[in-house]
Amino acid sequence: MSDRSQLIETGKPFQFDTERDAEFERLVQRYPTRESMILPALWLTQEQEGWISAEAIAYIADRIGTFASKVYECATFYTMYNLQPKGKYHICVCRTLSCYLLGKQEIVDYLDTEIGIKPGEISADGKFSLEEVECLGHCGTAPVVQVNGEFHENMNVEKIKELLATLK
Amino acid sequence: MADMVKLSVNGQEVEVESGKNLIDALGAVGIEIPHLCYHPALGADGNCRMCLVGIEDGRPPLVPACKTPAQEGMKVQLDTDKIKKIQRDIMELELINHPIDCPICDQAGECSLQDYYMQYDGQTSRMNVPQVLKGKKLDFGCGVIHDQERCVLCARCVRFTRQVTKTGELGIVNRTDAARVNIFPGRPLDNRYALNVVDLCPVGAMTSKDFRFKQRVWFLSKDKGICHGCSKGCNIFIDHNREKYKDDIIYRFRPRLNEQVNGYFICDEGRMTYKKENDGRITQAKANGDNCSNEKAVQSLKEALGHASKPAFLVSPNCSMEQIVAVKKLASQHSATVSGFSDGYIKPGDGDDFLIQDDKSANRAGLELLGIDLSKATFDALVEATDLLIVFDNDLSMSLDEAALSALAGKTKIAVVGAYDSPLVGQATFVYPVASYSEYSGTVVNADKVVQTFDTAVVKNDPLEDIVAVAGLLGGEISDNNQAWKEIKVSVEALKDVEPEMIPEQGLALTVDEGSDDAA
Repeated sequence: MSDRSQLIETGKPFQFDTERDAEFERLVQRYPTRESMILPALWLTQEQEGWISAEAIAYIADRIGTFASKVYECATFYTMYNLQPKGKYHICVCRTLSCYLLGKQEIVDYLDTEIGIKPGEISADGKFSLEEVECLGHCGTAPVVQVNGEFHENMNVEKIKELLATLK
Repeated sequence: MADMVKLSVNGQEVEVESGKNLIDALGAVGIEIPHLCYHPALGADGNCRMCLVGIEDGRPPLVPACKTPAQEGMKVQLDTDKIKKIQRDIMELELINHPIDCPICDQAGECSLQDYYMQYDGQTSRMNVPQVLKGKKLDFGCGVIHDQERCVLCARCVRFTRQVTKTGELGIVNRTDAARVNIFPGRPLDNRYALNVVDLCPVGAMTSKDFRFKQRVWFLSKDKGICHGCSKGCNIFIDHNREKYKDDIIYRFRPRLNEQVNGYFICDEGRMTYKKENDGRITQAKANGDNCSNEKAVQSLKEALGHASKPAFLVSPNCSMEQIVAVKKLASQHSATVSGFSDGYIKPGDGDDFLIQDDKSANRAGLELLGIDLSKATFDALVEATDLLIVFDNDLSMSLDEAALSALAGKTKIAVVGAYDSPLVGQATFVYPVASYSEYSGTVVNADKVVQTFDTAVVKNDPLEDIVAVAGLLGGEISDNNQAWKEIKVSVEALKDVEPEMIPEQGLALTVDEGSDDAA
């Protein structure tokens, strides 16, 4: 497991946009304590910005009224929170059993030769980033690829080529 | 007295307090259960698994002792092969990535990991892969330096900042073998009790910037004392050492458990007052404005006192009960009044609801018990009439500004019988250096009216006299603590049947008070 504790500072203050702000206020009603909002608030941030900065963590802590160290703990514990900027198109390739057996490696290798990025990297133009993730829960249609959260099932090299052509 | 229960440990019957967890209950009768994460002030966390014990009653094979209350008839197993194996395995896991830097680690000598390695592990490392490297000497603020590689992730420090100070600066970030204690960037430790995490840390991960690399802990003499930093009277250990060819020096104060007074902790400011004991002390005696030997100074002061038409006495709210009665007696022999004016020792609003008090003196309540007048009006009247003001360790520069101090010195001769240097000393005609509270024994009464005694901790190469003895040298009838106690018993109604040896370790509460803090 790698060290994720080095947060990136943008130098700009963070805040939720109107939509996420409303969503935060709606969700906070659901829980017995405001601290329960740490994970949902981190998700909202990631949805809005694509990743989570040091400023965003401080904002969430202050907004919830908890210690920044607690939000920091959660954000670094769960690997699905991105703590670094991602490409315009963030590609997640599932690497768990079914997808592995049905050829996820060919897809990852193809992306390396085609775009020139390995898992964990971001392309020089900032357009693409690639990550291998654990089971996405679509084993029946493996291998699966997620682009900005959208599922693409039964993937192979042919289909990923077509998919890339649509991503401008 | 709490209820007692009988249980058996390794087949041997013992009687322990009921309701306490096994670590505390058995610990009280001298049976040690190893633990890293449990601390009585922070509760059971159950993360280190070092305290696993067997209970023969059909429970799951092993339970953590920190979360298991002692019960009647319990059969506790501490030394089965299975438990020994688990202890060894846990130690092996803890030490996988632990740097073996004991020779340069400040914790060496008081390190749980080091002790437990010798007691429960003692095997050579089987690791042949590179260790996980983490952050070293991270400055967490408030004088706390953190070494992430030494950390065993017991979370005591994290729990302390969340449960006790409620400031929550620390957290454990990442997971698995990358997990480490850290502050959130830009939000360092910022509370007045932060250095307690250094004491809480069972290993050398948290060290004090002030103390690190100064002394090996096994060279330190650890004597009991009472902090004189404020009127809480926190119990402390005075850790001092006389290095070869040098003088006895204090290297640190550490909190000492007293549930009636301070619990397990002390504040950082109080902890740092040890520096006042080492440095900034009065070293040079003066008589009639000229430097001289101590003997000469006390002789000339005695003569001056004999010739003074109207001497006046000022004691410090830090003086012990014994010192005050000795000075009071001396004053009464000269028909003089004793003032305790020390408004400058009080910093309104500085205290909090935990340990820190507004009043930065140790024995103001004692002054009140002995009927010393603390008012400025009395002091002013006294100064107006006097031709010799003898100040016993009271730093008047805290209560009076520079102009008032000079005006005072212009009006009357000043004699300082004190331990600490201050602007007043420069204005004094007579100066006589005396012992400070780490060097004498005495009694103080804290803000919650708890009477506490303390003994001499530090013996300097050239020991200075205590104010009680100085009062005797100046012709006072009281010249030692025994005589002083007889007088205290007469003067203080609440102490009329109390002998110093009757005052318990936890202190004697004079009132059934509601003010004393619980043990955190």
